Amino acid sequence: MLTRERARCASLRAMPADDNDDAAILRKYGIEPDPVIEAYKKHVDRTLLRQNLRRSMDERWKVLAEATRLAEEMRRAGARARGR
Amino acid sequence: MAADFAGVVGALADAGVEVIVIGGLAAQAHGSARLTQDSDFIYRRTPENIARLAATLAPHHPYLRGAPPGLPFRFDPETITRGLNFTLTTDLGDLDLLGEMIGGGTYEQLIGNTVDLSVFGRAVRVLDLPALIRAKRAAGRPKDLEAVAELEALLAESEKSD
Repeated sequence: MLTRERARCASLRAMPADDNDDAAILRKYGIEPDPVIEAYKKHVDRTLLRQNLRRSMDERWKVLAEATRLAEEMRRAGARARGR
Repeated sequence: MAADFAGVVGALADAGVEVIVIGGLAAQAHGSARLTQDSDFIYRRTPENIARLAATLAPHHPYLRGAPPGLPFRFDPETITRGLNFTLTTDLGDLDLLGEMIGGGTYEQLIGNTVDLSVFGRAVRVLDLPALIRAKRAAGRPKDLEAVAELEALLAESEKSD
């Protein structure tokens, strides 16, 4: 358990500055950074998140509704192509 | 069918049903770029609210998702009172109605961790981002790891942009 905790601390110390900022923000809300989640976080496209944060709440849900309709239409088109 | 998010949120809000938006729809409200196909809510389990919930959804033909057709299922106050969490199909799309969520709790336990947002002209109560992260983490499902990573990045980006 202690070894695991040391490894976790070492991995957090080794994080780039941006990740350390994230860790401080998480801790502010009582959430302890998790090395596994941090590994996944490296693949998050933050440009999309920043774009969404600039949108109003209505715009965010409209984008979701449109994307959901498009995904549904794509599923239907795929099913038609497969002859179902 | 594609989910009618505005329709379901509007119907619940207009009828005064006490719910908290959770899951992918809440993540979307906070700025997530991930798509969701259903609407997830925590509903308050008082007799009055259960009656309002049943009456509001009745015209939209709620039925147990994944169940064979023709079962004698009725989404009425008695059924809701005897059950707790329901995964439904409706004319407004798939709907998950939870009386209690893993890692979160009941409506009363979560209400202090919500934000009131105005969506499509209606006031909507949405689980706040830190509570959403804690709930997803507590659920501990491997499929949620990517979603949690995105939500934590979102929390950081949101703080930095303030």
